Amino acid sequence: MKPPLHIAKANEVAALGYRVTPEAELKLRFVEKLEEMLPKLRSLMTMLDTCTRCGSCMQQCHSYLGTEDYHNIPAVRADLMRSIYKRYFTWAGRTLNRFVGAEDFDEDTVGKWLTYFYQCNECRRCARFCPFGIDTAEITIMARHILSELGIMPKFMQGVAANMVKTGNNMGINQLATLDTVEFMEDDLLEETGVSIKIPVDKPNSDILFIPSSADFFTNVYTMYGTAKLFHKLKANWTISSSVLEAANFGLLFNYNAMHSHNLRLKEAAAAVGAKTVIQGECGHGWRAAKMYTEGLNGPVPFELIHIHEYCDRHLGQLKFNKLPIRVTLHDPCNLARAGDVIEQPRRIVRACVDEFVEMTPNREDNFCCGGGSGILMDEMMDIRMKLGRKKAEQVKAVGKIDYLAIPCSICKAQIPPVMKHYGLIDFEMGGVMDLVGKAIVLD
Amino acid sequence: MLFLIGQVLPYLAAGVFLAGMIWRIATWLKCPVPFKLTMFPAPADTAGRVLAISKELILFDSLRRSEQGLWLWAWLMHIGLFAVVGGHIVGISQLGLQFTALGMSPSQSVAMSAALGTGAGILLLGALIVLFYRRTAVPEVKRMSNPADYFDILLLLAIVISGMHMRLTTLEVDLAAIRSYMAGLITFCPAAAPQNWIFLSHFFLVNILLIYFPFSKLVHLAGFFVTRSLIVAPPPAYPTAGSITKADFGARRAAE
Repeated sequence: MKPPLHIAKANEVAALGYRVTPEAELKLRFVEKLEEMLPKLRSLMTMLDTCTRCGSCMQQCHSYLGTEDYHNIPAVRADLMRSIYKRYFTWAGRTLNRFVGAEDFDEDTVGKWLTYFYQCNECRRCARFCPFGIDTAEITIMARHILSELGIMPKFMQGVAANMVKTGNNMGINQLATLDTVEFMEDDLLEETGVSIKIPVDKPNSDILFIPSSADFFTNVYTMYGTAKLFHKLKANWTISSSVLEAANFGLLFNYNAMHSHNLRLKEAAAAVGAKTVIQGECGHGWRAAKMYTEGLNGPVPFELIHIHEYCDRHLGQLKFNKLPIRVTLHDPCNLARAGDVIEQPRRIVRACVDEFVEMTPNREDNFCCGGGSGILMDEMMDIRMKLGRKKAEQVKAVGKIDYLAIPCSICKAQIPPVMKHYGLIDFEMGGVMDLVGKAIVLD
Repeated sequence: MLFLIGQVLPYLAAGVFLAGMIWRIATWLKCPVPFKLTMFPAPADTAGRVLAISKELILFDSLRRSEQGLWLWAWLMHIGLFAVVGGHIVGISQLGLQFTALGMSPSQSVAMSAALGTGAGILLLGALIVLFYRRTAVPEVKRMSNPADYFDILLLLAIVISGMHMRLTTLEVDLAAIRSYMAGLITFCPAAAPQNWIFLSHFFLVNILLIYFPFSKLVHLAGFFVTRSLIVAPPPAYPTAGSITKADFGARRAAE
């Protein structure tokens, strides 16, 4: 089966220190890798063993509902790994084989894994509704890790990871470019507000290290502007770090070792500027990687770690806003809400900034993914991405007339605009929650 | 043959079931939990976590929010099964006289015991039939089902039908004889099993179920608790304090 995405070539994989496993060794290495990984996480084997194939996850997965592809049913997707696990590592699978759903590793296995584990957005909604709490994201994350360890990864992931290694961010922005962009942004802010608002870079003795999404320096500058205005207004002693200009951590989305390296960068950058607080910008999976994985990957950390929405929400009492006369709805990024505990804070912020806030249904921890989650932003997958976003489009449409759709996550910001356009929803603006703060905040 | 089924197999089945379950659960618990899988909003304290898991255990709350039709029958099936298993333990050990403790006369208690047992059995039977039907009737569920998924339901159905047969037909089963046989088994002085072919087939199938249990998806009974505890675990707190289990994914870069 040919996966609908471009696979990284041997020399590209080599740039990350991996070797593409030759065809002849593939089965052996694959099974070996699975054997090595099974005892690493309690969740993995338990979740592989526990599913009863009741199929109720079918109705809860935007990926299946949007693509209507049988293999995108969470239980069926997990079965791609479960069947191999059963065949080689369980007594029942080895003796009873197909009777219990065990399958041999064959020439189709890798293609199927690449195709369907890269149509799971790791949004964890299935775990919200599974009677056992089986989290398909756990299985998807491990499947992608195993593939990448064997030198099999999407070109898109490889490219982002190579940039991360080189510059500490996904976009490949080096220190000079950062300083250049920041200078331009400061000029822009001065022109807009008449106030000199600084975006400090690598400033020693800073209380706060702010980790933006690198996209906030290109496509989503108003998110960065809102954040800078907030820090300015609160007279915070803050800085960004040119070594880790990126909240996103694509390691979570394809390779645990890459995630480890990036989280280590975060820890080191915080130590370098002496930050007591690390604040993560509007990035969903990056927030999850930092909040839920830093401790387990990198050991104890000496700083407080919070999300920019938490920080802003804590200080709402000290802020004044000129309420924007618009009607706004909020898309809860999965990794902020279900997986990251940033649920009520963005609501309170939006309510403070605008005249009318309206919920979409379902919302909060039950919200549907935008369809771009887990880094499925490949251009070559555009058709599938539109299907993955169908549920989101239906939700937004059901809200009725709005002026602004708040999507406080860089992946959502890359996925949702084309999805809305595709489904003919063009009468509103889209952007982050911090964008609204930037537009409504009273600076003096 | 009767000796094998009546005096050997029960010990084999109990041994395989217990050792198998302990082995399965130990295999899971041996694996570390380097990353928290907390699903938010998360319960704030231990009491909250116990409550959250209990709500799932007793009410199948997530399934109810997900698919109400399946929830109803799955829930009824499990409640029926729970009642039947509990009824076997109490009813056989007390010979149906358990309700005398509530002030009933012995004959009233036996009638009550029979009525409740029959009710729970019918509930379990009906729910199993509906679940079997659903597995064949929903095209996607049918497609994802393995032969083992049908086998599990059919095995349970065979056990329930043979059990209900003893209860509903005139084929008399001597409860007292079964009690003394079971007592013999439990005290490791196994006597010959009562020579009632319906009882023997019922009993034989239960032994097969016990042997099969730890190696099938029926381990979801235990998996439930492990998975659920992962989902409600307290999230990491920063700055971190105390000892941390670091994950080891065999990081290739030695420098780290």
